[in-house]
Amino acid sequence: MFAKIVGFEFRYQLKNPVFWVAAGIFFLLTFGSVTVSEIQIGSSANVHVNSPYAMAETSLVLALFFMFVSTAFVANVVVRDDETGFGPIVRATRVKKGAYLYGRFVGAFLAAALAFLAVPLATLVGSWMPWVDPEKIGPFRPGDYLYTYAVLALPSLFLTSAGFFALATATRSMMATYVGVVGVLVLYFVVTALTAKPEYMTLMAYGDPMGFGAVDLATRYWTVNERNTALVPLVGPLLWNRLLWTAVAAALLSLAYGAYRFETKGSKVKRRQKAEAAPAAPVFAGARAIPRFDGRAARAQLWARTRLDMAQVFKSPAFFVLLALGVFNAGAGMWFSDGGYGVQIYPVTRQMIGVLRGAFTLIPVIVAIYYAGELVWRERDRKTEEIIDAAPVPDWVFVAPKILAIALVFVALLGVSILAAVIVQALKHYGDFEIGKYLWWYLAPLSVSLTLFAVLAVVVQALSPHKFIGWGVMVLVIIAMLVLGNLGFEHNLYRYGGGVIGPVAQLSDLNGQGRAGEAGWWFRAYWSAIALALTVIAYALWRRGKETRLLPRLRRLPRRLAGPAGAILALSVVAAAGLGGFIYLNTNIWNPYHTGLDDDRWAADYEKAFLRYETLPQPKITDVVLNVALYPDYPKAVTTGVYVIQNKTNAPIRELHVRFAHYLKVPSLSVEGARPTKTFEKFNYRIFTFDTPMAPGEKRRLSFQTELSQRGFVNSRNLTRIVENGTFLEDDSFTPMLGMDRTMLLTDRAKRHKYGLKPAELRMPKLEDDAALQFSLFRKDSDWVNADITVSTKADQTPIAPGYKVSDVTAGGRRTAHFVTEAPINHFFSIQSARYAIKHEAYKGIDLSVFYYPGHPWNVDRMIAALKHGLDYDQANFSPYQFHQVRILEFPAFQGAFAQSFANTIPYSEDIGFIDDVRDPDKIDMVTYVTAHELGHQWWAHQVIGANMQGATMLDETLAQYSAIMTMEKLYGRDRIRKFLKYELDNYLRSRGGEIVEEEPLDRVEDQGYIHYRKGSLVMYRLKDVIGEDAVNRALRTFLKQHAFKGAPYPRSTDLIALFRQEAGDDPIKQQLITDLFEKITVYDLRTVKAVSKKRADGRYDVTLTVSAKKHYADGKGQETEAAMNEPVDIGLFSKEPGKKDFTSKDVILLQRLPIHSGETTLTFVADRAPTFAGLDPYNTMIDRNSDENIKKVGG
Amino acid sequence: MLQIDELTHVYGNGVKALDNVTLSIPTGMFGLLGPNGAGKSSLMRCIATLQTPSRGQIRFDDIDVIQEPERLRRVLGYLPQDFGVYPRVSAYDMLDHMAILKGIAEPKARKAEVERLLEQTNLYGVRKKALAGFSGGMRQRFGIAQALLGDPRLIIVDEPTAGLDPEERNRFLNLLAEIGENVVVILSTHIVEDVTDLCPAMAILAGGKIVKTGAPMDLVKQLSGRIWTKTVEKADLEALRAQHQVISTRLFAGRTVAHVLADENPGDGFEPFAGGLEDVYFSTLHASRKAA
Repeated sequence: MFAKIVGFEFRYQLKNPVFWVAAGIFFLLTFGSVTVSEIQIGSSANVHVNSPYAMAETSLVLALFFMFVSTAFVANVVVRDDETGFGPIVRATRVKKGAYLYGRFVGAFLAAALAFLAVPLATLVGSWMPWVDPEKIGPFRPGDYLYTYAVLALPSLFLTSAGFFALATATRSMMATYVGVVGVLVLYFVVTALTAKPEYMTLMAYGDPMGFGAVDLATRYWTVNERNTALVPLVGPLLWNRLLWTAVAAALLSLAYGAYRFETKGSKVKRRQKAEAAPAAPVFAGARAIPRFDGRAARAQLWARTRLDMAQVFKSPAFFVLLALGVFNAGAGMWFSDGGYGVQIYPVTRQMIGVLRGAFTLIPVIVAIYYAGELVWRERDRKTEEIIDAAPVPDWVFVAPKILAIALVFVALLGVSILAAVIVQALKHYGDFEIGKYLWWYLAPLSVSLTLFAVLAVVVQALSPHKFIGWGVMVLVIIAMLVLGNLGFEHNLYRYGGGVIGPVAQLSDLNGQGRAGEAGWWFRAYWSAIALALTVIAYALWRRGKETRLLPRLRRLPRRLAGPAGAILALSVVAAAGLGGFIYLNTNIWNPYHTGLDDDRWAADYEKAFLRYETLPQPKITDVVLNVALYPDYPKAVTTGVYVIQNKTNAPIRELHVRFAHYLKVPSLSVEGARPTKTFEKFNYRIFTFDTPMAPGEKRRLSFQTELSQRGFVNSRNLTRIVENGTFLEDDSFTPMLGMDRTMLLTDRAKRHKYGLKPAELRMPKLEDDAALQFSLFRKDSDWVNADITVSTKADQTPIAPGYKVSDVTAGGRRTAHFVTEAPINHFFSIQSARYAIKHEAYKGIDLSVFYYPGHPWNVDRMIAALKHGLDYDQANFSPYQFHQVRILEFPAFQGAFAQSFANTIPYSEDIGFIDDVRDPDKIDMVTYVTAHELGHQWWAHQVIGANMQGATMLDETLAQYSAIMTMEKLYGRDRIRKFLKYELDNYLRSRGGEIVEEEPLDRVEDQGYIHYRKGSLVMYRLKDVIGEDAVNRALRTFLKQHAFKGAPYPRSTDLIALFRQEAGDDPIKQQLITDLFEKITVYDLRTVKAVSKKRADGRYDVTLTVSAKKHYADGKGQETEAAMNEPVDIGLFSKEPGKKDFTSKDVILLQRLPIHSGETTLTFVADRAPTFAGLDPYNTMIDRNSDENIKKVGG
Repeated sequence: MLQIDELTHVYGNGVKALDNVTLSIPTGMFGLLGPNGAGKSSLMRCIATLQTPSRGQIRFDDIDVIQEPERLRRVLGYLPQDFGVYPRVSAYDMLDHMAILKGIAEPKARKAEVERLLEQTNLYGVRKKALAGFSGGMRQRFGIAQALLGDPRLIIVDEPTAGLDPEERNRFLNLLAEIGENVVVILSTHIVEDVTDLCPAMAILAGGKIVKTGAPMDLVKQLSGRIWTKTVEKADLEALRAQHQVISTRLFAGRTVAHVLADENPGDGFEPFAGGLEDVYFSTLHASRKAA
């Protein structure tokens, strides 16, 4: 009996469209993540799309969202019989409650589990697709698929199925069950977000019912190799997690038994329907209403149909589920959006819109597809088509309202999301709601673009022979849009609507939507004309009455287009042609049209043509004169310039290679005493031959004129560096470079492989490569240069360039400022121009200033204070500051979320620092940290710069980190640095796993951020701890003395390490530590095994600690070998847990540095107070994969 | 006056639903009688502009129905054989919606018209109830209410009484009779009594063809003296069919009462029977089946 019920239910569910739709959607989601490089779940550059790790992440994520599907299956089981009225018949049979209930559950669950097989199937199929880079595909191991499905997916599916089955039996309502689903999902996201901190990791490994926590705990520090080959082992927390939650599922199932009443649910006793007998109907007399068929009637019909269509959307439970899901997803995103390191940010409207665009817009897209089908097919689904279609209503009254209704639903949806954003802003005590930005940056463009998409969905449904086919076609459309872009089909003239949610403009409070915003409206206008034409065609082919075949409708098409319909069609085609022509003029004639693929191919050809010139000796630039005229509205930058170049080699130079950025226009270029002999127009590469070769030491002049501009707008990749307000140019984008180097080349492994570039990776010169010492990290063609830069811009903007301002004149609507250097600086310039608010403060003879957007005033004072603290530390400990000004300048978010240090000039993105909310003193003060870091670069880059070889960034980024950490430590104390270092440690260990090429030790770092920043912080802090701050700073002072402001040969990382070794003296432990920190990849495993404290007779405490320690060296791929450990480690006793909110130095009872060896060590102490926490390396200065086990609660 | 000429309709799957139908339908109630599958609904849908016939002409007064469906819809009231309703919509709201679609734009007049029709169809008391919860009779009455909206000159009701209990059916037919005086009303049905009770003119449709037209009384008269009846055991029925033109049989108290068509008394225990429209119908069907 049971088996028969299971079988029946299973077959029933398989016939249900939900099964196929769900399987289809999840197949496509997975297929997309496997085959489209923009959609990635779990995989990354080196992690295979079918690696066990990527499959695990995909399974977890999709199993979570599968909740909606499994609920549809299992809740349907309970609710179905009552809805169809079949319940009494079934229950009148001899079937037992248990068999009925669980038989059906099992059948439905099996169907759900079968549908989820679409996920592994899609991974498999996706890994066969020819366009997927073979480097991204690992070997096919069936066991991985099975294991992932059985261990990670099935228990989660079982849990959600059982849980919502129980809920459905208790409520007997689909709606209530779905509300429950949303509630659970919201709760889940909120709890997950709240516990996304290292300290909750173990707890969540058990507590997270979907298994994310357990998998994350096990794999967070996995290297690429592990991610590609290892399955998440079913031991420890993961095993217990799966068992625990499966048991919970079983318990929920048994609850369902109790909650289910087999008897027919008696309908509530309602008031007796007296209707039939009601005699009190009024008497209606008077003339019959006469129908009319004029404009007024048509308007009334249009509105009535629109209302009906909207009501169908608004009254359907699915709509509310979608809306709630979208709002909570976006709400959580907005609520928890932060600036990294747990820092709060001010919820500026721009930021809110950014989150909404990412987290909310999927909902209207689903609404468009789903409800287009529902609305177009409603009359047929409800069998009202004969009545409705026989009414004297013109067909356009059926077509237009569908589109109108969906458009209005979009406005409502987006409006609700705006409301959610405003509520988040209000809850965060942020009062500047900027409704105008919500409207013009979000609501207006998106509702139009989404409506265009909805028109397509309606048209597809009008032509398709079945609703499901229409839905399927639309899903294919979305996939095609995503995939075609990757294949080089990018033009918005043929990408419908310019993308599913239309062309998306990047935002900035300084510059609004910029040119892309304007371009977006041209594209929207163009596609609106096409959408109108499509609507006319949908009208002409509208299904009316019983004829659903397309062919007969096509036959009557010409007759239906005669008259106004044809005229509108013709008009819209003409409008589309006109708008399209204008767009083409902008995107393809006024500006070069190029796709991402074109650019890649160009870069590959460039490398093939010119990389062989890399070692050709070239002169170096010694003096730079630039005159940059900025036209922010155009946008355009016209530059005339002169370089003085000098042959610094020992041999004559016969040829000069002059290069420019790809799309830069070069109206004139001349080199003193040289003629152009080869010009590669396509590559902007010119070779000059000197009439008489440049003798060693000889100087000559190079004069040039360039124009960096964009006329009108482009398809994508609008010029973002010159904008109406917030121009930020780096000099290499508009000035010549001499000789070939490796900038502008393809670095992505897969792309290099695709274009047959050798070697597979472009690596930096080795540490041992003496030839590389001739060139600085910044530029190959310059050492230190004198600069004379004139910048002119609109009269209402402030022009900025490195150097001291010697004049500033406003005349004829233009403001011109002239900057010169007093001493040579790096050839690394920024040109900026915007309408800034400016704050100045003089400090010890230095002019500190912040140029900022007036709407972002919050942290300006803090930045100035940070500059003071930083100057104090750096000047006192390293060398005097070489300039008498420091300028921080805000730039638009779409140019990047970073700060950068040029000589006495620090461009600082509006996305970081300026909007940090540092009112909570317990949070890490990232404003001060970033500012101090960039200020540190004035020493570590602008006084001393490394040779362009391995280890170079240790000399600027790592040392700037050191400056920042020391500034922070002086300001906030050592105890609070722990929190910061813990983020650094976690980030370093996680990023190792994403390494694309090879992890290097710090002394050989190849511009790898996670090494020179993250590991750099940890290394420098530990070094300072062990050999002492004074010793470190002495070494740095010596380093500056030896190398500051000197040209080639440039120093290497090992030069500084040698100085550290000198300061460390003969102590072999310290020498070994320097080896481990700088020259090896060292990973510790430190644990406190036992911590016991006993009160003594004298009122003090005996504390016994058992600690265990291990040290490993790792190679570049993460393979570890154990090494003998013998080094000093901090041991501490505390009255509060270090790193916790209220932990202060008063909570430190005892802190000693004791030698610790490999293996277990037992230590005893006598403490004055009772410790509650104790352990080793409490401040996380050592690189330890399990830093949470360092400290333990003290037992009695 | 509705004039149908040589109307033929073939469905996509090759089924010939209408075969060269020619028919004139005058003002007043017109009964279209035929068994299930005879093509009644196809004919109704062709007239109601919901289906374009493969061949043939339909004219209503000066309207060419096939070329100008928009014009016909303005004077049409149509109650399909089977229709659904929107979920969660009340009778009033749905009728109001239909009134708008029928071109009654002015809100006040529309309200009066909707209420009047609800009252006329005895649905006023339940106007705020969801249609989905209506009984079959209530739903049919709602169907006729919406068909009457906008003062139609051509009313088509397709199988309106199927599934109604006798009381509901009476009420429904009374309603039809009231309105069927000045306009063309086509009542398509397989229930002979509906036509007997209401229609001064009728046609019988079988296998997509019109096999008989006329006034019911005339048709009955043509049969007079040619119908014979006999009560036999069930087992003897086959033998009877072999010998005579058995046009109908029905059970009565466990035995079978057979009607036979014959110009002369067939003897053998047959008795003359004063036939009704039902016998016209059955004899016509019998003849058309034999011809097929």
